[in-house]
Amino acid sequence: MRTAIEINRLCKTYRGSKTPAVDQLTLTVPEGAVFGLLGPNGAGKTTTIHILCGLRSFDSGEISIAGYSPKRRWKDIRRRIGFVPQDIALYPSLTAYENLQVFGGLMGLRGKLLKNRINELLHLFGLEHGKHRLIEHYSGGMKRRINLIAGLLHRPEILFLDEPTAGVDVQTKNLMLDNLKTINREGHTIIYTSHYMEEAETLCTQIALIDGGKTICTGTPSGLIAQTKGCDKLEDVYLQLTGKKLRDE
Amino acid sequence: MNGLRWLIYKDGLLLLRDKAGLCMMFLMPMLLALIMTYLQDSTFNAIHETRIPLLLLNADKDSLGMAIERQIGASGIFSVATGIDGQPAERDALIKAVGRGDFMMGIIIPENATNHIRKNVKRYVAGAFSGKNISLKSDSVQVEIFIDPVTKNSFRSTLISTLREYAVRTESDFLFREITAEVNKHSPLPAPDIRLARNKVILKEQYAMPDKAKTIPNSTQHNIPAWGMFAVFFIAVSLSGNLIRERGDGSFTRLRTMPCPYYLYMSAKVIIYSLVCLLQLAAIFLMGLFLFPLLGLPALTIGNGWLSLLGVGLCSALAAIGYGTIIGQIASSHQQAAVFASVSVVIMAAIGGIWIPVFVMPLPMQWLSACSPLNWGLEGFYDILIRGGNWRALLPECAASSAFFILCAIAAVVYDKKKRIDI
Repeated sequence: MRTAIEINRLCKTYRGSKTPAVDQLTLTVPEGAVFGLLGPNGAGKTTTIHILCGLRSFDSGEISIAGYSPKRRWKDIRRRIGFVPQDIALYPSLTAYENLQVFGGLMGLRGKLLKNRINELLHLFGLEHGKHRLIEHYSGGMKRRINLIAGLLHRPEILFLDEPTAGVDVQTKNLMLDNLKTINREGHTIIYTSHYMEEAETLCTQIALIDGGKTICTGTPSGLIAQTKGCDKLEDVYLQLTGKKLRDE
Repeated sequence: MNGLRWLIYKDGLLLLRDKAGLCMMFLMPMLLALIMTYLQDSTFNAIHETRIPLLLLNADKDSLGMAIERQIGASGIFSVATGIDGQPAERDALIKAVGRGDFMMGIIIPENATNHIRKNVKRYVAGAFSGKNISLKSDSVQVEIFIDPVTKNSFRSTLISTLREYAVRTESDFLFREITAEVNKHSPLPAPDIRLARNKVILKEQYAMPDKAKTIPNSTQHNIPAWGMFAVFFIAVSLSGNLIRERGDGSFTRLRTMPCPYYLYMSAKVIIYSLVCLLQLAAIFLMGLFLFPLLGLPALTIGNGWLSLLGVGLCSALAAIGYGTIIGQIASSHQQAAVFASVSVVIMAAIGGIWIPVFVMPLPMQWLSACSPLNWGLEGFYDILIRGGNWRALLPECAASSAFFILCAIAAVVYDKKKRIDI
């Protein structure tokens, strides 16, 4: 199987910090997987995703995204990835449609293709009726859905989702996860972080549990549950491997 | 180019939806230009058109008193009254009326003032012809001047100069008349009256401008470019706020994961905000051309300098965009950027000669003024609108503004990389 992402001994220490945020992290994400990057607060999940999306520099190690090394080919990588950040990353004073036009347009979509893609995704996520309302007038769940659509417009080979369902109601979460599964079935690789273990268990085909910037374990959800003694769900595995101590970032 | 198009579309929409920002960028400077021109024009008229109310108590009723009364009235500066409510004024009433502010100035020419001068001159000339030296000190004539405390020094100086001039004239007239009389006494041939020729020294006042320039400086020619520059630099508040909002709402983070390099992102802002600056200038200049004359203010005269104006406007816009960008990069919150940008622009405007012309500033402030980007643009506009200069005259100011933009842009890129990527 081809790999979508290859991370080898990746290190990143923020300026002014003594402990590394990412410490010799090594991971392989197969193409077509829904890869869950799980861990407690401050484990290094968001830093890893930010490095993979080109938002942060890294100190050492090697990464390859969609077969390209970011040292030389960021432009090519950016055309192949989609990023859905943890916070809502939209223009509040623009309508949903205008936001999607801008982000889709920047990803190279034009004319009818752009229009059709926007309408198709708005329909898929149940937002076709409110598309001409300003984002600032949207509810939290609606903003989350538009936030997700903005990362999907150009049908990226690799989609990075940083806690995409944080703070949404059960109905919205179900709709989002169902659509993500559909998107994955179409061949898109998804890298996903979340604190909802149940959600990760149903969505992910592969999981990496990280803590302190290091990989603790990797495998399929069912495989990890089976490997860890006395655990019958992913949350038990998570607590057993990362401990119950509170984490302050 | 497709990416740039979408970024321009996005920035245009963001700007159009920011109604408060638009008001601040367009209405505020237009109002300021209108109010300041109106105020300065009124001050100008107060000296040249509105006459200074003056109460004259002329107890002399002879040559000196009549000459002063006639000449002050003819000067066009003073509106001379010789009584209060139709009644002849007394000394005490005059002092009270001036003290109340009914008149800005009051003059009392004492009784027999002309006679005193005449006698003094006679004695002096007679003494001179007889070889004696006679002092005039003991017989001086005292003309009293009362001034309302709120009267400007310049008005007081004008009055005193006028009085002094006519006192000297009267005295010299008498002097020549007496000399003629004395000469006739001693000469076998009678000499005609010697009259002092007036106004043989002509003071020709004109502005130092190239031959082609025919524009007379007035409050409009000064205020329109000055407040235009202020408007242009006030976009720093909107631009810095826009940059911080984009960082704050995460949309800038999303843009950086897209094929949207920083230079493209900034290029869209430069294009949109340059357009805004040019529209601001166009609105203010059009106001000076068409609205001011309707309000009784002097109309703006541009002549053939449209292209040069566009050049100066564009360079100033770039300097303002550079300034807004660097504030937007460094400030950590929208409030911080708004306060810093607005206060710093006001300070740069004050230093740059927007409110007070640079030439009246103390020397160290004049040097400091040369460091204000607002001053560069303002001087560029003055070169075209007042000095009638050509494009060569604009080169230093345009070069300074462009260099300032380039420096700010480089600093913004370096800061963004160091603070947000390489952290």
